[in-house]
Amino acid sequence: MIEVEGLSITSAAGPILRDVRLHVAAGERLGVVGESGSGKTLLAMSLMGMVPDGLHVTGSIRIDGAEMGGADEAAWRRLRARRVAMIFQEPMSALNPLRRVGDTVAEPLIRHLGLSPRAARDKALALFEETGILGPERRLSQYPHQLSGGQRQRVLIALALACDPELLIADEPTTALDANVALRITRLLVRLARERRMGLLFISHDLAAVSRTTERLMVMYGGDVVETGATAEVLRAPAHPYTVGLLAARPSLAAHGKRRLPTIPGSVPPPQELPRGCRFSGRCGQEIARCADERPQPVATAPGSWAACHLLRARAKGAGA
Amino acid sequence: MRERRLSPNLIIGAVLVALVCGVALLSVVWTPHPYAVIDVGGKFAPASAEHWLGTDQLGRDLVSQLMVAAGNSMMVALLAVGVGCVLGTAFGLLAAARGGWTEEAIMRVSDLGFAFPALLFAIMLAAAYGPSLSVVVVAIAFINIPIFARVSRAAANQVWHREYVYAARAAGMGRFAISRDHILPNIAAPVIVQATIEFAVSILTEAALSYLGLGAQPPAPSWGRMLSEAQTLMYLAPQLAIWPGLCIFTAVLGFGLLGDGLRDMTDPRLIRERRA
Repeated sequence: MIEVEGLSITSAAGPILRDVRLHVAAGERLGVVGESGSGKTLLAMSLMGMVPDGLHVTGSIRIDGAEMGGADEAAWRRLRARRVAMIFQEPMSALNPLRRVGDTVAEPLIRHLGLSPRAARDKALALFEETGILGPERRLSQYPHQLSGGQRQRVLIALALACDPELLIADEPTTALDANVALRITRLLVRLARERRMGLLFISHDLAAVSRTTERLMVMYGGDVVETGATAEVLRAPAHPYTVGLLAARPSLAAHGKRRLPTIPGSVPPPQELPRGCRFSGRCGQEIARCADERPQPVATAPGSWAACHLLRARAKGAGA
Repeated sequence: MRERRLSPNLIIGAVLVALVCGVALLSVVWTPHPYAVIDVGGKFAPASAEHWLGTDQLGRDLVSQLMVAAGNSMMVALLAVGVGCVLGTAFGLLAAARGGWTEEAIMRVSDLGFAFPALLFAIMLAAAYGPSLSVVVVAIAFINIPIFARVSRAAANQVWHREYVYAARAAGMGRFAISRDHILPNIAAPVIVQATIEFAVSILTEAALSYLGLGAQPPAPSWGRMLSEAQTLMYLAPQLAIWPGLCIFTAVLGFGLLGDGLRDMTDPRLIRERRA
């Protein structure tokens, strides 16, 4: 239902996203993982046709068979809300503080589906019920500041679902929430994706949230997809050194106090300072000669899984010889 | 919690503005005397129970003239700032919504507007169409358009990068609908503050133009023209200059303080500083 091929985004300073490839079918749940600056939010924006001005987008984005690569604002607007919808990281700031939340949700219903204000209100109420908002009737006429973070995120999910999209992009929807609220939101997203046979693109740096929400996983670093595969498989046996590092950096209760939490040294460099070859070279620690200058090609690690790392190729060759 | 205490500026400004506006409204239905009735026998009368502030060189009641002049002044300011604010804000919203060359064109034309002082522009108009209050209104309104365009565009550009605007775009809303439903309500505060301040400026400009004889034409009273007429009588009857001067001062100070007070109250940067 959504197929992305060779998607690259370039700024004046250099490439920010390189050759991204992904597909999400109806009812499928794909996770995108990476630290800040890995390009995951920009990827989400590009799937909504909302890339900021001044960035150059190339490649193919096919949504329901329609080629949206290079499409204009008018074409994208016809797709937003009805084909692809999005929820945001900060439920605190993603709702207009001066509008009643019921009006915010009713708006696309009136605009896109041509419902009367009364029918739109009823649909908004139904959406509030579907997304598990407490006291939905009363909430409709409340302002964002009267709602808790979790309730607001549910309102935003209701808004995103208003026109029955076929793909929901969730950009770090749980980052700003308490752990137990986050858990409920991810459960809600999984339930909605199942019931509505809706694709879900779940972007997060929270590996626990990704593991309980998604079936497949895509790990990004510095604008490249470095590894992809079945979520459980990737988390159990990561192949790319970056994924290995990311998993090792997870805090665990069992090891609490016994050792320092391992970290990946440094942080993602700004786009103009990223190495030309493997984006992770310089922070990897297991580099070989060609890492810095030669871009690694994907190496199959399991059926449907691959990782882009020179070490894997070298290892595979070593095993074959 | 939000800062609840109102600043003294705001309170003093609001009281002065209420006073001036109250008097202006009252003048529509009631003045102590008909303002234009000439009584040459009773000229330069001192303050009395009959004429609270005395009479002028033609024996007209000063209080009545000042009251009607307040009404004229408020009307000019309201029309001029109103038109300037609506058009300017519309251009500002359009510039922020479209971006690119539309924004560039609107802002460069605005810069051109800034190059003309209101006084100069009004003198040009008066030369072409003859002096009148309408010329004053048009001149001040015209000068206000780029001011409001600039203020609203700057505020709107900030709001366009808020997450709720991204959310609205993601919900398929167009630029026009977003401007109306999300941008405009959220830039209302700076626009209202600017309007209050421009109100003060426009009262002053109207007074200056009428002083120069380009504004209100006799017998319509105007603070500025009363000042210019009293000028030659400064030694004979100084009160004829002092009272309109005080009226201009009160009105300008009132709107100025109100604008400052509103800005202090609505500017989140200042609120944060005060709390720190």
